[in-house]
Amino acid sequence: MSGHPVRLRLNDDLRRMRLAVFFRLILAIPHYLWYWAWTALALVATILNWVSTLILGRPPRPLFRFLAAYTRYTVHFHAYLFLIGDEYPGFTGRNGRSPVDVEIAEPTRQGRLGVFFRLALAVPAFLVASALAGPSTNAVTRASPYLTSVGVAGGVLVTVAFLGWFSSLVRGRMPEGMRNLGAYVLLYVAQLDAYLFLLTDRYPDAAPAPGAISLSTAGNPVSLVNEAEARRSRLTVLFRVLLALPHLVWSALWGVAAIAAAFASWAAALLTGRVPRPLHEFVERFVRYQVHVQAFLYLLANPFPGFSGRVESYPVDLPPIPREVQRRPATAVRIVLAYPALLLSGALNWLLMTCAVLLWFVGLTLGRAPESLQRAGCFALRYWAQTLAYTLLLTDRYPYSGPWAGNEPVPIPAQ
Amino acid sequence: MGRQRARPDPGAVTRRELATGRRRIASGLLLLLAAAGWSVAAYYLWQTSVPDLHLPHVAAGDVLAPGTLRTARRVDRLLRIDTLLSQLVLLAAFAVYARYGARLTRESAAGRIGTGMLLAMLGFGVAWLAQLPFGLVALWWERSHHLSRVGYFTWIVGSWSTLGGTFLFICAAILIVMAVARFLPGSWWLVGAPLFAALALLQAFAQPYITPSLHPLADPALRADANTLAKADGLPPIPVFVQDVHLETTAPNAEAMGLASSRRIVLWDTFLGGRFDRRQLRVVLAHELGHLARDHILREVGWYALFAFPEAYLIAYATRRRGGMFEPTAVPLALLVFVGMQLAVQPVHSLISRHLEAEADWIAIETTRDPVGARSLFVRLAATSAVDPSPPTWDYVLYEGHPTIAQRIAMVEAWSARQRAGALRRSREAVSGRSRQARSARLPGAVVG
Repeated sequence: MSGHPVRLRLNDDLRRMRLAVFFRLILAIPHYLWYWAWTALALVATILNWVSTLILGRPPRPLFRFLAAYTRYTVHFHAYLFLIGDEYPGFTGRNGRSPVDVEIAEPTRQGRLGVFFRLALAVPAFLVASALAGPSTNAVTRASPYLTSVGVAGGVLVTVAFLGWFSSLVRGRMPEGMRNLGAYVLLYVAQLDAYLFLLTDRYPDAAPAPGAISLSTAGNPVSLVNEAEARRSRLTVLFRVLLALPHLVWSALWGVAAIAAAFASWAAALLTGRVPRPLHEFVERFVRYQVHVQAFLYLLANPFPGFSGRVESYPVDLPPIPREVQRRPATAVRIVLAYPALLLSGALNWLLMTCAVLLWFVGLTLGRAPESLQRAGCFALRYWAQTLAYTLLLTDRYPYSGPWAGNEPVPIPAQ
Repeated sequence: MGRQRARPDPGAVTRRELATGRRRIASGLLLLLAAAGWSVAAYYLWQTSVPDLHLPHVAAGDVLAPGTLRTARRVDRLLRIDTLLSQLVLLAAFAVYARYGARLTRESAAGRIGTGMLLAMLGFGVAWLAQLPFGLVALWWERSHHLSRVGYFTWIVGSWSTLGGTFLFICAAILIVMAVARFLPGSWWLVGAPLFAALALLQAFAQPYITPSLHPLADPALRADANTLAKADGLPPIPVFVQDVHLETTAPNAEAMGLASSRRIVLWDTFLGGRFDRRQLRVVLAHELGHLARDHILREVGWYALFAFPEAYLIAYATRRRGGMFEPTAVPLALLVFVGMQLAVQPVHSLISRHLEAEADWIAIETTRDPVGARSLFVRLAATSAVDPSPPTWDYVLYEGHPTIAQRIAMVEAWSARQRAGALRRSREAVSGRSRQARSARLPGAVVG
């Protein structure tokens, strides 16, 4: 995300005014009208910009400023609407007026071929943006035999807003992880807008910062190690879903035992405050195995995984999770507390599947996996692993949904 | 004084030679015993209730009208060439895979058995890719002659799903073989073959429960016919199901499946709806019941078991230079040997299948005693399925799992001839018996014996 001409600036203290949160949708009505009107103008401006850029090789400054302001305004508006920020946005999209803002670098020359086919080239990014920001009315079940959460989990942004609304009303604060997740979505959509409006010819970057994957930040002991190579075997990519079948069968069988073990862990943790070591290690191995299988199935890694969930046996791996004291009150209602995380995990699952579909096509044609998509998928997988670990009592630290901790994404070193 | 090399003990050398010789003799005797046992089992599995028949010649032109015969031959011609080419390509694909497939071990982070599974699955994946064009050609040909209604995309998706089932099966097979080979590297086949036979038995039993789109036969008259025919065969009432296939094909088919309590008869719905009359359907039911009455499914498992031993042995023998079946790098070669053997023994399998089908035909004619219905059924089958009533010999030997339509009609006529001969013999016996009685009545003091 660093090095991209469209960058995020966060200046939000996480506090939310309860009254404004409660009436958020209504308060945003003027902005709906203004947004749609400005969108119609922006479409016209984009067509003009496209023609001009084809002729001139770079966007004309007036059109650039107009569309950049529109892009910023979109971020301001949606940050307010989806509770990523709390200040009522202006109507001009002026730089520096919103706690959630984007900086757009000055225009540079663009290749005419890329400009001509811009819309077609943007299709994969559209798909990712739909998974992140597009609402869906499908009831989503995270397809696994041991988790039965069902919820309306549309795009990630909608889910963040839905959960954040309740949290903001109760606590007067937006959880940092969800705020950062929402900001990540808005940044990606802004990058896509900038790409489509020809403000930049840099493709939207779906990858969260590298530190996000290991994420021992925010005190969560469940992290993911991503050492996957970019090479993909075309043969295994083609048959990936079928090759995963024996693992899915073994997963189902092992899952039955893991659920039973989790139930025993729950009882033990209620009584003693800790999960017995054999149970902890058994369930941890199961979760690690799930990470390996999911990474293989969703093309985040190349090799065929083993069946034992052994640590350090797979390039996308789950390090050992320390066995900690578990608070009894939270343990007693663990499955209820886990529900919001399961909902959000289900929403992020759409991102994972979208990345997998795109990785499949790219893997078949180029024999490699783009780093951006691979890391985005790993981010979603990491959250899912944290959610599973929390639900199965491997840790009582709530899953952290943010791609980064704090107010700014971690800068990516130049490659 | 230098050390002197120890001279070999002549006695030890002789003892070793004797032990080797004894082992060879013992192995030879065991092999002889196994071959004898195999032959005895094959002999009993081969026995059927079909008597020696002199089948009359039935010309293809006697079965189908000239136009229909031309169409059937044209349809069959391309399909059999397509099948032959597909099998040759399959063999070539596996041969290439056997040569280069071991390189794919680098795509695995699993242990030996997991890697073996991966190589096995990828082998069948490569084979699927190689055969895909031939399947599409066959589908196109069948669609153009209105024998199939399946769309191309639907066919590919269906074939893909079937490949998934194949992957699961091959994983289970590799798991068994490699797990046993771990402990019995040279003789895993002795344990593996019976295990696979047991799995085949289980699969035969479970088949009715995993076949999709089945619903009970609604026609009460046909159900009653089925019960009557089952009773005539000495069977309890056998459930008859209908499988919905009309969206995929127009060809009619039926099969018997299951063992013991899971026995079923399945009619494709392309048989119903007035395409075949009740007499013809009775023959179909009687034919399928004949399979169950003579335990053909169990016999097929028996034949499978008989062939499983030599096939497993050959795989073990062929892969020993690659480290044996516990080495994943041996899997590609094992696949080639397995597929090669399947193709090599295909004529034998076809022969066995034709033999069992002929018995089912015979039982059908015997229980229905309706040669007219049987003949009309076979003629109708040839017409609706665009089947060549008398295919070329090479195709017959390799692929025909049923007697040809001409042979089936010939069997009907042979049965009719036997009935006529039997009736003539009985009437002659009745006449001569009355004559003897009459002569005895005319002679005083005669004893009628």
